Amino acid sequence: MKKKILVVDDDPNVVDYLVSLFEDNGYRTFSAGDAAEGLKLAKKEVPDLITLDLELPGEWGPRFYRKMSLENNLKNIPVIVISGMTGIEHAIGRAVASITKPFDQDELLKIVKDTI
Amino acid sequence: MADEILLIDPDKGYADALATYLERRRFEVFFADSIDNVRTLLDSLVFFPDIILADPFLPDLGVVNLLKQIKNSNPSIQIIIATENDYYDQAVEELQSHVLAYIQKPINSHLLNLSLKQAREWISLNKKLDRYTEKLADLHNAQNLYHQLFDEVPCYISVQDRQFRLTATNRMFKKDFGNEIGSHCYEIYKHRTSQCIDCPVAATFEDGENHQTEEIVTSKSGKQYNTLTWTAPIKDSGGNITQVIEMSTNITQIRQLQDHLTSLGLMLGSMSHGVKGMLTALDGGIYQLGTGIANKDDKRIFKAFDQVKHMAAKIKDMVLEILYYAKSRALKYQSVDVNQFAESIKDTVEPIARKNNIELNMNISPSLGEIEIDSNWVKAALVNFIENAVDACTYDQSKSEHHVELTVCEKRPDRICFEIRDNGMGIDQETQDKMFTLFFTSKGSQGTGLGLFIAHRVITQHGGSITVESKLLEGSWFQLCLPRKRPDQHRIIDFPEMDLNNSVK
Repeated sequence: MKKKILVVDDDPNVVDYLVSLFEDNGYRTFSAGDAAEGLKLAKKEVPDLITLDLELPGEWGPRFYRKMSLENNLKNIPVIVISGMTGIEHAIGRAVASITKPFDQDELLKIVKDTI
Repeated sequence: MADEILLIDPDKGYADALATYLERRRFEVFFADSIDNVRTLLDSLVFFPDIILADPFLPDLGVVNLLKQIKNSNPSIQIIIATENDYYDQAVEELQSHVLAYIQKPINSHLLNLSLKQAREWISLNKKLDRYTEKLADLHNAQNLYHQLFDEVPCYISVQDRQFRLTATNRMFKKDFGNEIGSHCYEIYKHRTSQCIDCPVAATFEDGENHQTEEIVTSKSGKQYNTLTWTAPIKDSGGNITQVIEMSTNITQIRQLQDHLTSLGLMLGSMSHGVKGMLTALDGGIYQLGTGIANKDDKRIFKAFDQVKHMAAKIKDMVLEILYYAKSRALKYQSVDVNQFAESIKDTVEPIARKNNIELNMNISPSLGEIEIDSNWVKAALVNFIENAVDACTYDQSKSEHHVELTVCEKRPDRICFEIRDNGMGIDQETQDKMFTLFFTSKGSQGTGLGLFIAHRVITQHGGSITVESKLLEGSWFQLCLPRKRPDQHRIIDFPEMDLNNSVK
């Protein structure tokens, strides 16, 4: 069965990019444009991995992560932070990786493969 | 050093005996037996004698007058007259108070000693007096010098007591801030009603050390200056700090230069996030285009090409914008319909207000006609003010309901006013004073300190004015008035020249 990745990013172009990239490489994807929608989808689909942008409309990435961590069936899902902000390494301490935009697609795919 | 004494007497034998007597009493004695002799001696001596012991009735006349002259031109010389009984009265009558003592010949040695002692006392008193006078003059000169220094130093200098009241100020301070002795420092410099936070004067009173801060102060004419402020304690003889002297150097010009140099870097910094997003989207487009071509998926290819085209255009716009910032940019005036312009602002800010649950009310007078402005810049400025109003509402937790109101009306036939009212958190006086300066932000890491700075420039360079009224916790009111016609002089948006004139109340 295909592994499931949830993409949370408010830029539809970036969402499009990530979704195509993952699907072309054999993953199933879901996407959300903000934290609330992302949390709803995560609860419903329980993905195997989440990519998370930090700057989101309304609640930001770290808040999403905190809320997600409170859900027993979600708290162990690996998260990869993909953001345009610099100095993001510590924004979410338990993220498996933090990548800055624009990112290297091979590097991202390798991290995903190694994680799930 | 022995006192010098000039002995004037017609009788050389008698004088010799007297000289020996005087030398034994540690006088250096000079002798003259004629008026010419006296003159030669006085001319040849570098110093005048301290004492003259004279029998004025030489065979040649005029000694009396000569003595008077000498005494007049050298008041410190002490004259003792020793003369025959027959001439005594005449001597007293003619010389009067020019002379310290009159002695009758034959000289009584006790009387002579007494007179000499008196003369020496007078001389030493006079010398002391001279020294004191000299010191006093020096002191006076020094005081004048320091006062001049205090006045002419090209800084604002004030001396303050523990209540931050001004007890002395220098000329430059008086020129820009008025002669306000007795007023509080914070009233005069910052137009505040209470002590400033992080006051360097308070810190110096506390620890007796020098303190340095950078301040933005507002002069009596409303001009704002960046100053580098330095404080030092003034101590009394017991070492207690009684007052603090505060020196502020006006570094507005340096700041203006810095503004220019840093604005480009800052602009790039604040745009970098957007740039990164665009580059990522461009990467995405290229990826989709590549995989589309590989898979011969026309739908994907077309979609990807559209995205690449779109991102390339956005990046081009942004790069051009950065290049515009890098050099002076002339305002592009065009005539726009005020009502349409106001509608376009509404379209931009409505989603922002809605997202933050703030009610946005528009109050636009009908048929406002046309205005000559660079609509892109003015719109950006107005949106900035409205966004700030929305922020002021979201930050405010004292009220449950918030609203922002934009009023557009004609104040005079030649002026269109945009008024933005909110019931947000309000702005304190210090923030009001500083709000239009570069890098000043009240929003911590959320602000760049750039928005209102540029907005203010845009409005003033259109010949417009900005009025601010605000009350803490009650809300703020901004009025931006723009002339309907472009101002005569060719105005340019350029960052080096900072025109912070008094449009802020």
